[in-house]
Amino acid sequence: MTQITTTFSARNRRDVLKAGAVALVPLGIPSAMHALADQPAAQSSMTANGGTDPYPIPWLDKNGSHNQPAGAGLEPSHIYHFKGRVARCSTFTGMGTDNKGNRIAFGSPTTDYGVMQGEYWAARSAQQGTFTHI
Amino acid sequence: MVPVPNGGLSISADGNTFTLEMQSVAVVDQPRWPALDSIATGARMNFKIVWKSTGEPVKYEDAGKHFHFTGTRATCQLEAEVEVPAIGFSWKSDALNSSKCDVAVIGDEVNGRYYDV
Repeated sequence: MTQITTTFSARNRRDVLKAGAVALVPLGIPSAMHALADQPAAQSSMTANGGTDPYPIPWLDKNGSHNQPAGAGLEPSHIYHFKGRVARCSTFTGMGTDNKGNRIAFGSPTTDYGVMQGEYWAARSAQQGTFTHI
Repeated sequence: MVPVPNGGLSISADGNTFTLEMQSVAVVDQPRWPALDSIATGARMNFKIVWKSTGEPVKYEDAGKHFHFTGTRATCQLEAEVEVPAIGFSWKSDALNSSKCDVAVIGDEVNGRYYDV
């Protein structure tokens, strides 16, 4: 109970914004996220060909978030088997205001974003797409 | 990582400016992450991010990890709005040009199976 109270405190809202992308974890690709919850009682057969979702960078998953900070020499893409355009950034600083008028800063070295647009390989064929890490 | 809808990413004709803008993206507000008992609350986020090339070349190459990136350093600015309805919390950043970021690049990358082609 204490944890719930603490989580909802103003201090932690501040922490959310400082943590940025780490705290605001995207729900991910719906098909993947709901796969377990929506599983039918009787499974229908399907081609064992893999999904068309992008494949993560294999060595970036030690925290389960498929991510590393942006930096010199570090791979900008979050998709493996990929060729295309990439934009990457991290270490934001800025300010904002909450719905109670409090001025709250955002940004930290882990506040990072990225976008990838191009071709990637999945389900044994080339796919096209645009994805963002937020 | 989430898919970007059509029109969400625009790239200038000269390739020097990337603008990413998305509305009502489903995210999770999880202040105590990565603690195992951290509570996750559904939230939504609107944001706009603009990368602008500085023209300074950048090249990353790692044969061991099968990736190659060529591009330029960039400036990057962000404006965002977050809402966590379950707790009645919302937050909106100041205007785009008031933010700054220390590390940004834009360019082209090949990795994985495409690295060897």
